[in-house]
Amino acid sequence: MVLSGWEAVFFWVFSIAALFTGLLMIMARNAVHSALFLISTLVSVAALFVLAGAEFVAGAQVLVYIGGVMVLFLFVIMLVNVGAEERGRGQLFNSSAQVTATALLGLLLAIGLVYAINQGVKGLNEPNRRSDEMAGQRTAEQQALPVSATGDMKITADTQRLGSSLYRYASLPFEIASLLLLVAIVGSVMLARTLKQEAAADDVDPEVLKEVVTTPEERAELESVSR
Amino acid sequence: MDWNNPWIFAGVKFIAINVAFVAVLMIVAYSVLAERRVLGFIQGRLGPNRVGPGGLLQPFADLLKFILKEDIIPDKSTRFVYFLAPVIAITTALMTIVVYPFGPTIHIPFTDWYVPLVVTRMDVGLLYVLGITSVGVYGIALAGWSSNNKYSLMGGLRSSAQLISYELSLGLALIGVILQSGTLDLYSIVERQSGWYGMHWNIFWLQPLGFLVYLISAIAETNRVPFDLPEAETELVAGFHTEYSAMKFALFFMAEYVNMLTVSMLATTLFLGGWNGPGVQTFPLLGVLYFLIKVIFFIFLYIWLRGTLPRFRFDQLMSFGWKFLLPVAILNIIITATLGWFGWI
Repeated sequence: MVLSGWEAVFFWVFSIAALFTGLLMIMARNAVHSALFLISTLVSVAALFVLAGAEFVAGAQVLVYIGGVMVLFLFVIMLVNVGAEERGRGQLFNSSAQVTATALLGLLLAIGLVYAINQGVKGLNEPNRRSDEMAGQRTAEQQALPVSATGDMKITADTQRLGSSLYRYASLPFEIASLLLLVAIVGSVMLARTLKQEAAADDVDPEVLKEVVTTPEERAELESVSR
Repeated sequence: MDWNNPWIFAGVKFIAINVAFVAVLMIVAYSVLAERRVLGFIQGRLGPNRVGPGGLLQPFADLLKFILKEDIIPDKSTRFVYFLAPVIAITTALMTIVVYPFGPTIHIPFTDWYVPLVVTRMDVGLLYVLGITSVGVYGIALAGWSSNNKYSLMGGLRSSAQLISYELSLGLALIGVILQSGTLDLYSIVERQSGWYGMHWNIFWLQPLGFLVYLISAIAETNRVPFDLPEAETELVAGFHTEYSAMKFALFFMAEYVNMLTVSMLATTLFLGGWNGPGVQTFPLLGVLYFLIKVIFFIFLYIWLRGTLPRFRFDQLMSFGWKFLLPVAILNIIITATLGWFGWI
């Protein structure tokens, strides 16, 4: 897709913004500021999705990542009130082993990225008759769609197409991912809750707790709570 | 109308945005006044009635007072974020008004112009509304954090927890409507609810449960009584905006009322048939009136609730949201999906 006019301007503005806010996110000393910069990066990426014509993905990005995940991030940062990294810049580079490992990993990532982009560009440049045909067909379909009454955009069926292909071709990975998240939630609640909290909660049967407890220290702790 | 001419396009959009903006701000100003008068009526007193006939100029007097007051910035606040928070709150509140269709397509007399009464029509209008309103929580959370005040921080944390919890039920309550309509485009959703003498509105035709869940979680989303824990004045001074004064406080105040208006507009659009009503087919401009009446009904409902209900305790709020509202919302989705599978929708 070749960008032209204002689209190109917006593309460059948002991609440069995404890169710079990503960089600032790592460099900020205050954890809340880091989170704010990460939010700016995500907003810029959402704008890039809009430019690519993927409105649904952009909306989902804003709703899930900016409105959900990052709010939780910010919540946790504000709750534990991190202040340790504010002391000085010198401490960020004090472990030479850490710096070397990071540099090596970064280099590997950069090489991988360059290789992947090269392969992708090769694939794009090679004349591929089938994909050309499909692209032509798709453009014709887009042209034939009715223009919405306010002239803003063409009313498409992209959202429907995304949903049906997600549940038709990728339903198993989708379910596995959601199951994984569920396990993670249950696991984190289990790890975070101490025995005392468990005993104090009124939704846990004391008989069940007695069966779970094995070591004498734990038994003593449980008895101190119940008394 | 020739939409391909960029100047006509830009001009019409500019006018439309300004009309919507001014209309929303006027409704907000007068819903503040209405709230004070109705609360006065409920509590057996008069309410503000001195500025102008029947207190009609009170909102402008309030605005003047807010502008002229001293703007105090706490000494140890995080300056930039402290400025940013009210801006986020009011911007995200106002951004959603562009997608609500407030009337059908009207024909301008003596021309061949047909103008649909919606500022912009989007494929993913509903997703846009949900996304933008979910960003609004940053205004409150950052205000609480940057003020460097323990009451503000408590208010900000409470509101983040509350808004995330109730956003889930709110989104899931809307899934039923989306399943039934098969689109995220608000204009099409309204059009699908016409006919059957109003019995085709989503609130009657198979989404009454979804409507109830939406109404309750929308009240929680806008921090109104009985879910106004982020600013519970009896425990937290004023919650997240304790340190804010003058126009910055006014922006938070305005954002709350704009949010109240937008959730009312969304409820009208999705569940009460939007601009549908008797005689809309012959006189399209009546649709605007019907839309306004329905929205004002919801705003009155909010004020009424504020005058009559006590506040929830925080643990009650959380267990109500997660253990009751969320399962009911999921049940609504299952019912709608089952009916859809049998082809009854």
